Amino acid sequence: MIQLAKTLHADVLVAGGGIGGLCAAIAAAEGGARVILLEKADTRRSGSGATGNDHFACYYPPQHGDDMEVIVRELLDSMLGPFHDAALSRRFLKESIGMVERWHSWGINMKPFGDEYKFMGHAFPDRPRIFLKYDGHNQKAALTKQAVKSGVTILNHLPVVELLRNDDGVCGVLALDVSTPEPAFVTALAPRVILATGSASRLYSPAGTPGWLFNTAFCPACTGAAQAQAWRIGARLVNMEFPNRHAGPKFFARAGKSTWIGVYRYPDGEQLGPFVSRATREVGDITCDVWNSSFSDLIMNGRGPAYLDCSATSAEDLAFMREGMISEGLTGLLDYMDAHGIDPARHAVEFMQYEPHLIGRGLEIDIDGQTSVPGLYAAGDMVGNVRADIAGAAVYGWIAGRHAAGGLPGGTPATPDAGVVRRHQEFYSSFLRRPGGASWKEANMGLQQIMNDYAAAGPHRVRSASLLTAGLAYMRTLRRNAEEHLSAANAHELLRVVETLDLMDNGEAVMHAALERKESRGMHLRSDFTFTNPLLADKFLTIRREEGGAVIKEWRRRMN
Amino acid sequence: MPPVIDAGKCSRCGLCAAICPLGVFEQTERKTVPAVRYGEECWHCNACRLDCPSGAITLRIPLNYQLLHTDASQLHR
Ligand SMILES: Cc1cc2nc3c(=O)[nH]c(=O)nc-3n(C[C@H](O)[C@H](O)[C@H](O)COP(=O)(O)OP(=O)(O)OC[C@H]3O[C@@H](n4cnc5c(N)ncnc54)[C@H](O)[C@@H]3O)c2cc1C
Ligand code: SF4
Ligand code: SF4
Repeated sequence: MIQLAKTLHADVLVAGGGIGGLCAAIAAAEGGARVILLEKADTRRSGSGATGNDHFACYYPPQHGDDMEVIVRELLDSMLGPFHDAALSRRFLKESIGMVERWHSWGINMKPFGDEYKFMGHAFPDRPRIFLKYDGHNQKAALTKQAVKSGVTILNHLPVVELLRNDDGVCGVLALDVSTPEPAFVTALAPRVILATGSASRLYSPAGTPGWLFNTAFCPACTGAAQAQAWRIGARLVNMEFPNRHAGPKFFARAGKSTWIGVYRYPDGEQLGPFVSRATREVGDITCDVWNSSFSDLIMNGRGPAYLDCSATSAEDLAFMREGMISEGLTGLLDYMDAHGIDPARHAVEFMQYEPHLIGRGLEIDIDGQTSVPGLYAAGDMVGNVRADIAGAAVYGWIAGRHAAGGLPGGTPATPDAGVVRRHQEFYSSFLRRPGGASWKEANMGLQQIMNDYAAAGPHRVRSASLLTAGLAYMRTLRRNAEEHLSAANAHELLRVVETLDLMDNGEAVMHAALERKESRGMHLRSDFTFTNPLLADKFLTIRREEGGAVIKEWRRRMN
Repeated sequence: MPPVIDAGKCSRCGLCAAICPLGVFEQTERKTVPAVRYGEECWHCNACRLDCPSGAITLRIPLNYQLLHTDASQLHR
C-alpha cells in the first residue's frame, strides 16, 4: 500500500492554487487563519490563468454610474450570465473593484493604459462595457508571492483526491504527493475546506482533434475534482445539465476568442452577424458570444467555414491586439503564427466551437461561498450558480476565504473516520503497478466516447431519456472495468487515473441532471422534449448523492 | 514531442519540471537535463518557454494543431 507520509493540521485548507484558490487563501490568512493550500501542479503557473488573462468583469461606479442594476443586467446578458443566482452576482459586482485594487497593489497591472481603468471588449455597440482590460501575464507569480507574504503555506504537487467529513460537516482532505515518481498520501485536517480546482476539461473528446486529450481551451489538469469529490460526500451540485462550449481558432484550442479584434465572415465575405462592420479595440464583433453555435451551424449547413477577418482592423488596433494576446497568455499561439507566417492583417483564421466543458456548472454556494456541506466552500469555475471567470474566481475566492476564517470553531479539532480514510487509501493504492493493467487513457477516452454519444451537447445533437439511461449504464460498466483493470506505473500516471475517475462522477452527474430537465434549453436539447418550457425558466435543478448511492434531484427557484 | 530542450543551453535548474501545469517533464535527479516524458500531455501554455532562465526551450506544435487560415483578400473579392 502507498504509505501515509504525514498528517497536517490547519484552520482552513484550500484545494487548488489557481486564481480562486490563491485569493481565498490570502483572504483567509489575512483574516487570521492558519492556511494550507494544496495544489496539483505549482501555483506559479497552474490552471487556466497560467500564463495570463486580460479581461476582468467589474463594476466601477465612476465609469458605470451609481445604478449597479444596469451592470447586473449586462453581466446576466453576457456569455457569463445565463445561470446565476442574481443575489450572488450583485455581491460579486459590489466587491469587484476592491479586488481590482488589491490585485493592482500586489503587482498585477490593472491599469496598463495610464492612470484610469479602461473597459473594453465583449460588448454590444452602445451598451456599457463591463470588462476591465488588464495585463495578467504575471498574475500567477504575483498572487503566489502575496500568498506567501500573507503566511499561506503552499504545498505544490499535492493534489487533493478525497474530501473527508463527519456528521458535522467537512473535516479535512486526503491528498496524493506526486512530487516524486513514488507516490505518498498526505492527510490534512481542518474545520474549513475551500474548493477551487477549476473547470472540468477532458470530459468530452476535443472537438477539433479527437484523441488529443490535452488540446483543450481551459487547463486540462482541471478535471472536475471538486465537483466529483463534493458529490461523493453528498454536496449539492447545480446546473450540471447545461453544456458550455467555448470557441476559438481551429485546430489550436488553447487560445480563446476574446482578444481577437475582427469581423466574422462567411467564405464569400458576407458578415455573420449584424453588430459591426469594422471592429475596434473598444467594440469588437460580439456575434459569437450571442450566436454561440454559429461556427458549428456553418459547418453543418455547408455555408462555412466561418472566418475571423482582422484585415480591416487598423494597424494600431492590431498592435494592441498582439499586446492583449501576450497579456492573455497566448504567446504559444503567437510564436506559432510568427513561425508559420500567419499574419492577422493578411490572413483570416477559421474559428470553431470547442467541445463541452464544465464551467459555471457545479457546486451550489450561498452568498458567502459556502456549499450545502457545513464548513465546505467553493469558488471559481466549478461553482454552478454564479460565474464571472477570472473575476468571479478572484472575488468569490476572497469572499469565501474571509468567511471561512471568521467564526472558526473552538475546541478539539474533529477527525474523520479512520476506516473511511483507510478504504480510500487501499482503493487508490490498488492501481499502482497492477500487472497487465489498462492505461488511464483508455478509460478517459472511453468516458469521452460515452459522453459524446449519450450526453451530447447541441447544436445539431440531442439527448433523450433512452440515450441518457443507456449512457448511465455504459458508464457504470466502464467504471467497473476501470476500477478493476487500470494500472499506474508511477505517481504521474496514478494522478491521471484519479482524474479519470473524478471525470466519471462528473459525467454521471451530468447525465442524471440531463434526464431530469424535461425540456430543451440552450445547448441541452432533448429530442423527447423539444420545447422550452417557460415555467422552468427560473427553476434551478440541484442534485446530490446520498450515502447509499441514491441520487436526489430537487428543483428550486433561482434567487434574485 | 511538444517542448524541446536544447541540452547545450540548459543549466539544469529544474524550473520547467517544477512549474509545468501538466507534469510533462521529469527530472528524477537534481542537476540533470529534464526529460520530456509526457509530451502528448502538453497544453502548449508556453510557461516553460517563458520561464526557462537559459532560453533552452522551444515548443513544437503538433502538425494536426495546424491553424486553419486563408488569405483575407479572398473574402473581399
Ligand atoms: C487562454 C485563456 C484565456 C482566458 N482569458 C480570460 C479573460 O481574459 N478573462 C476571464 O475572465 N477569464 C479568462 N479565462 C478563464 C480564467 O482563466 C478562468 O476562469 C480562471 O482561471 C478560473 O479560476 P479558478 O481558480 O476557478 O481555476 P484555475 O485558475 O484553473 O485554477 C484551478 C487550480 O486547481 C488545480 N487543481 C485541479 N485539480 C486539483 C486537485 N485535485 N487538487 C489540487 N489542485 C487541483 C489546478 O492545477 C489549478 O491550479 C481564460 C482562460 C484561458 C485558458
Ligand atoms: S528551465 Fe530551462 S534551464 Fe532550467 S532545467 Fe528547464 S530547460 Fe533547463
Ligand atoms: S507548454 Fe506548458 S504544458 Fe507544455 S510543457 Fe511547457 S509548461 Fe508544460
